[in-house]
Amino acid sequence: MQENLKDILSHLSPDIDQETLLLYLQDKLPATKKHEVEKSLSSNEFASDAMEGLQQFGDKKQIAHMVEVLNRDLKKKVAQKIQRREKLKLKDQTWLYLAIFIFILLIVLCYMVIHRMLQN
Amino acid sequence: MKADNYNDTTDRELLDNFYASHQNEWLGILLQRYTLLLLGVCMKYLKNEEDAKDSVQQIYLKVIQELHKYKVDYFKSWLYMVAKNHCLMKLRDKNNMLPVELTEKLTAAPAEETDWQALVQNDQALDHMEESLKELNVEQKQCVTLFYLEKKSYQEISEETGYTLMQVKSYIQNGKRNLKTMIEKKMKLK
Repeated sequence: MQENLKDILSHLSPDIDQETLLLYLQDKLPATKKHEVEKSLSSNEFASDAMEGLQQFGDKKQIAHMVEVLNRDLKKKVAQKIQRREKLKLKDQTWLYLAIFIFILLIVLCYMVIHRMLQN
Repeated sequence: MKADNYNDTTDRELLDNFYASHQNEWLGILLQRYTLLLLGVCMKYLKNEEDAKDSVQQIYLKVIQELHKYKVDYFKSWLYMVAKNHCLMKLRDKNNMLPVELTEKLTAAPAEETDWQALVQNDQALDHMEESLKELNVEQKQCVTLFYLEKKSYQEISEETGYTLMQVKSYIQNGKRNLKTMIEKKMKLK
């Protein structure tokens, strides 16, 4: 009894994983598991708000697919940024090589000009 | 990097890895954990499936940008605040309403959580619990008892009491909040 009373006051519940939430939404969980999810939701404002929103989706089975698509897009976005960074790195190196080449060329030209002037 | 490989890694560790390397891949793994919740929160506020999906993508971008600028300690509560702010701003743009922007300290632990935990660790609070439970109104007392003490689901409580699911949820939430207030009052009096 004392432990159960503690449950009312406890505001720390383990996070519910996305799969369990999806099963809850599709009403595929047994009553005891449902209670656990609901207890966790009652002390987790983020998840509780999310559940309210998810219950408004017309086709609950589509939610898993939407999440998959969003995750795929996220991966692409993250990868794009990496590619862009790598391209920038390459560009930076090209400029460096070009600068070194121009520098060496200038030294050679100066040497030749001075050499000719001394000869004359 | 595969998200599945990091199932045992905490949000904090993923965030620390990101701050150490500044590689967005870490944020990708971290954000994937919250896609479903973000979609739900956006749907709750925007009430439109397409808007909700678009908003989740915009929130991803915002989070990636912001985390390069600031150090966030409590990622989950911060992300929730970013998501809510984003939706409120969208609603404002739609309805020409003034924004009700939420602000939260990035470094502070969620205040309410620590508040509840302090109470649960206090033996005196538990002593007042039974007494306070009796003082709740009939509906709240019934729902709180069935939910927390008899461990029934909302559905089962709804079937047993005849209340709708929304009513059950609301009686439990309000009952819990009222219990907390009553217990705190009693503790101050003693």
